[in-house]
Amino acid sequence: MDVFLQALALSFTPMAIASIGLGALVGLVFGSIPGLTFTVALALALPITFSMDPVPAIGLLLGTYIGGMTGGSVSAILLGIPGTPSAAATVLDGYPMTKQGKASIALGTAVIVSVFGGLFSLFIMMVSVDLVSRLAIGFGPAEIFALVLFGMSTICGLCGNSLLKGLIAGALGLMIMTVGLDAIDGVPRMTFGSINLLQGVNLLVAMIGLFAVPFIIEAFSGRGSQDLQTTRVAKVRAELPSLKLLFGKFSLMLRCSVLGTGIGAIPGTGGAIASFLAYDHAKRFSKKPESFGKGNIEGVIAPEAANNSVTGGTLIPLLSLGIPGDPATAIVLAGLMIHGITPGPALFMNHAVEVYGMYVAVVLAYVWVLGLQLMGIRIFVHVLKIPREMLAVAVLVLCAIGAYSIRNSAFDIYAMGAIGVLAYVLVAVRIPITPIILGMVLGPTLENEFRTAMMLSEGSFDIFLTSPTFLVFFALALLVVSLQVAAELKLKKKTSERIEMTDA
Amino acid sequence: MKLNTKIKSGFVGLLSSAVIAFGGAAHAEYPEKPVDMTVLFGGTANTIAQLLSELMSNELGQPVIPVSRTGGGGAVGYSHVMSTAPDGYNIVWNSNSISTTHHTGRVPFDHTAFTPIARISTEIPVLAANSDKGWANLADLAAAVDSMDGKLKVGISGKGSFTHLTSAALFDAMGVGDKIAYISYGSGKAPVELLAGRIDAAIQWPGQFASYVETGDLNVLAVTGNERVAVLPDVPTAQEQGVDVNISMWRGLAAPAGTPADVVAKLQSAAETAVASDQFQRAAANIGFSPAFMKAEEFSALIEKDDAFYADLLSQLGMAK
Repeated sequence: MDVFLQALALSFTPMAIASIGLGALVGLVFGSIPGLTFTVALALALPITFSMDPVPAIGLLLGTYIGGMTGGSVSAILLGIPGTPSAAATVLDGYPMTKQGKASIALGTAVIVSVFGGLFSLFIMMVSVDLVSRLAIGFGPAEIFALVLFGMSTICGLCGNSLLKGLIAGALGLMIMTVGLDAIDGVPRMTFGSINLLQGVNLLVAMIGLFAVPFIIEAFSGRGSQDLQTTRVAKVRAELPSLKLLFGKFSLMLRCSVLGTGIGAIPGTGGAIASFLAYDHAKRFSKKPESFGKGNIEGVIAPEAANNSVTGGTLIPLLSLGIPGDPATAIVLAGLMIHGITPGPALFMNHAVEVYGMYVAVVLAYVWVLGLQLMGIRIFVHVLKIPREMLAVAVLVLCAIGAYSIRNSAFDIYAMGAIGVLAYVLVAVRIPITPIILGMVLGPTLENEFRTAMMLSEGSFDIFLTSPTFLVFFALALLVVSLQVAAELKLKKKTSERIEMTDA
Repeated sequence: MKLNTKIKSGFVGLLSSAVIAFGGAAHAEYPEKPVDMTVLFGGTANTIAQLLSELMSNELGQPVIPVSRTGGGGAVGYSHVMSTAPDGYNIVWNSNSISTTHHTGRVPFDHTAFTPIARISTEIPVLAANSDKGWANLADLAAAVDSMDGKLKVGISGKGSFTHLTSAALFDAMGVGDKIAYISYGSGKAPVELLAGRIDAAIQWPGQFASYVETGDLNVLAVTGNERVAVLPDVPTAQEQGVDVNISMWRGLAAPAGTPADVVAKLQSAAETAVASDQFQRAAANIGFSPAFMKAEEFSALIEKDDAFYADLLSQLGMAK
């Protein structure tokens, strides 16, 4: 208790509260502007923390991380362009809600469930960090491979009526990620001797291209935008979701938060897989699965609760094992190390006060995020009043800057353009975009974990067959795929019967 | 347009203008504009670079801006800096990777395309195993390997990575090189894999193991450099245990070949002051690297010597091109 009070004293200094707030604001801005990512924001914030005290320093980084994770949903909902890969699943129902004039409700719901998910995961982490990290250690290459494979099976829920088209998109995503220097054997693949291609296609760059470029092209091609424009402007209101709505979805929020925390705790996974699994889960257990993708609020609640509960989840391997889950947490790790807070099993013995201080900082960060974002919604929705063509120009500029700033590479701007044109073609032939992101996010993990597992077993498949965890996830993946195939065959039969009847 | 550069130069600029105002150290000669420092990797490399550049900015009176150009095991960043003008406004935060990227055929040029400025730091890998194995030193491990049927599973970051090369050199020197199976992991996961017992041993940076050694979960058997590391002062070096290996990873600064000597000298002295500062020394202790300033001439000889060593090691491993 003493330690906790000490931590409270450390985190409730004006400096700490202000730096957490600054972090949350910067994170929100970077997360919500398409093209700019909160990983870049964290990289910018890191040197500022060098000369600060540990708790405000970590607070600034955690605030940026949490603000960014939450802010990613803003452009996903308003423009259909996710600010972060974790928000890609939010586009599916969030953007249709905007088209129906319910943008502010979607935004408000996203913030509130995000804060709920984040605080829930923090609570789980506080009471069970030791237990969960011991469980997470049990996830070796074979088990992570199975989990990721199960994640891939959510393509079924994203592909509309055609599994084939979903698979085409998913495979494209997997293929794009094979370009570059292979992480395991260190050999160049698909680089055609080009040094630029050695760096591979960056996930964030590809994501900007996939979602932003079709948005820009469509804005200028002017297809049907006139009607849309009028309805959009007419219906822009800053209306928040009612408490009744939120309480009604409490069990979904809770389930997705558990899922997000669990996935976040496993090193080497992350927010994107959690949000897709949560979306799939929500759709599968919904009473009206056919309304998903058309603006069902549950399609916003599930991924947003899940991706923010990953923030608490990833703190588990980060603090107790010293393993960052993604590039963003790697920067938080650097911030901890430079202040002499070395994560690992001994952390809780040596730095208990700082650790509790971090917990308090996370809570404060969510309070800031909730306040800033709820105020911000009033401003954000006015973006929709801007004529689409003008908005497109701004998005274009921001995306080019964003693509460049991730690795300071002009090559990435061209990569963004090329992938964007590809995406536009795919949209035109009705191939869904989201499975490409899924393939890109999960591809490298899928491949590397499989190869590591095979190296461990010296080429024998026993490593998979003897792991109960693998078998469970593999069976789940198989179940999901066969349900989808069965549903499609049934649909096909129905249509062909109908055709026969009209023939007769 | 470099957005993050712009914002950063704003911060750094403010800071450095304050320094100039108080120190009265404005120069008419080099540097007249910000210096772009290419950073090749994330993680520790990036953290040290950000700190170093901030401290060097104070010295030079112009901002030194760390710009991350990662990818291709350093190939992307080296190629960028090599193609810039040799005027001292583009420098690279380099490492042994200049030798490995060249000898594995990723870049067509070698270390002679750069003028060394100064070595800044070293990081020395250590070998760790789960303490349940009961191995206290390299001899215990060698005895266990001799009596086992299969191969010893050793975790590395990736084939051809620095941890791989160090492991290969160490186990060859111990005479057990042919009984080792290398398992590639993404960086950072080695402690967990050791803890779970999926691999038998791993070579990584001491900072990653320190916390586990304190709790007694892992044992560190040897340091691969010729000096003990500050984070783990009780662990003997491989040489102390009779195994002749001395490998450490250095990081330093270099500019494109042909950069004028007075510019190099200026950067060198700024780096020297930065490394000697309290802030740098404190960060080194916290992050787990050793400040190891070395002047351009000696540094150049070291690069030369190491380059031959890695060329040899890579061709032994069949990875040289």
